[in-house]
Amino acid sequence: MKKVLKKTTLTLIITLLFLLIASEAMYGQSRRNKKENTDIWKYEIEGVQTGVQGTYLIKVWSYSPNANLAVEQAKKNAVHGIIFRGFAGTGRVPGQKALATNPNLEEEKQDFFRLFFAEGGKYLKFVSLTNDGAVAAEDRLRVGKDYKIGVIMSVNVDALRKDLEEAGVIKSLGRGF
Amino acid sequence: MKKLIITTILIICSVLPALSQAKKPTIMVVPSDLWCNTNGYMMEFDNQGTRVKLPDYKRALQENADLMVVISKINELMTQRGFPLKNLESSLKSLETEAAETAMSSSRSGAELSESPIDKLKNIARADIWIQMTWTINTMGPRRSVTFVLQGLDAYTDKQVAGASGTGNQLIATELPIMLETAVLSHLDNFNGQLQQHFDDMFENGREITLRIRKWDSFDGDLMTEYGGDELGFQIESWVSDNTVQGRFSTADASENRMIFEQVRIPLYDANNRAVDARTWVRGLQRYLKDRFMIDSRITMRGLGQATLTVGEK
Repeated sequence: MKKVLKKTTLTLIITLLFLLIASEAMYGQSRRNKKENTDIWKYEIEGVQTGVQGTYLIKVWSYSPNANLAVEQAKKNAVHGIIFRGFAGTGRVPGQKALATNPNLEEEKQDFFRLFFAEGGKYLKFVSLTNDGAVAAEDRLRVGKDYKIGVIMSVNVDALRKDLEEAGVIKSLGRGF
Repeated sequence: MKKLIITTILIICSVLPALSQAKKPTIMVVPSDLWCNTNGYMMEFDNQGTRVKLPDYKRALQENADLMVVISKINELMTQRGFPLKNLESSLKSLETEAAETAMSSSRSGAELSESPIDKLKNIARADIWIQMTWTINTMGPRRSVTFVLQGLDAYTDKQVAGASGTGNQLIATELPIMLETAVLSHLDNFNGQLQQHFDDMFENGREITLRIRKWDSFDGDLMTEYGGDELGFQIESWVSDNTVQGRFSTADASENRMIFEQVRIPLYDANNRAVDARTWVRGLQRYLKDRFMIDSRITMRGLGQATLTVGEK
């Protein structure tokens, strides 16, 4: 009886260990992929609406092996895109230029942006999900091993610009006069 | 102790350029001539036999509420960006008040204020950069859309330094002021982006001005008369070349009576680290002509970026 109990406990422990390792491997992989996709800033932006004071409504297409992670990643991508890339116009929605006019700004202010875009960083203050982050069926695509997820975000451009100006990262219009 | 003093002086010298401020250009929003003409806000007058049409800003501001919405929205957004604009309506009112005061002013002895014909001519609304705007309403059945154009024009070089344009969404039953406000909000950020590039260029390569040289008919010689071994015109050109940022300028016109220098890039600060505009920069040329060739001259200016030096007398 004791022998059977010992064998069952051992099997249980081995199974638990196996599950733990497997889940860590899977989670770790997805975390790595997420990090890789964010590190290389793999995303696309399109304008949805720009005529509201102080904000841009944009759709951010992010890539991730996990559909839920893509939504979180999209917030970071949205703020990054407004600062460094801008977006092209679509139909009657005019495109907008990036806030940063210096193409090397990201490298030059590396320390600032590392903190700014860190997990739970300041970037979260300037972005919000619309529709609670609900993704339309046509905005959920499978591209190879990754999901390509389109999420509509609202970015508070006025506050973002002001924050970057005050931090001395970008120049204000009246600077120097 | 000596070291400390030297270090302090060095620190002050290195900080000074950062503290001094360049002369800030004034910007004003005005409706374009096209908009004024389309909407019937023009005035006509007879200029020596030729009918001339000019935009009637005062009437447009008094009669068109949509114009007020657009100007006020642009002013509001620019103030938010830390660059308050000159208001057209207030400028027109100030000019009227100033004209009334000038007409009524007299000293205790009965003397009136001096005002030359040039002073009278210059009593117009002024800005260094004009934001000229136009909008047209497109109608397709019950749907309406607004085509909006913003142009930032340098008053002295006549160059467009910023611009943004586009047509908004087709909407049904939306009030025009809301459509106009949306159009301003959609385009002003891009416009400001270009304006920022213009200012960046100015800080890097100097302020771009226009310089005109003329001569009084009372002057003995002309711009082709030899002074110091060369024609006066070439002497002036050499001075301009030596005193511009990287010698940047172009001679647009030169004759015995006048010269026009365009795209003249002047430094923003002088040797004493004081902010420079066209007038203060041309003062250097005036002194040079007086010291070197004993030629008197008079400077007349228009804003930050245009100056005329008339040689021969003051």
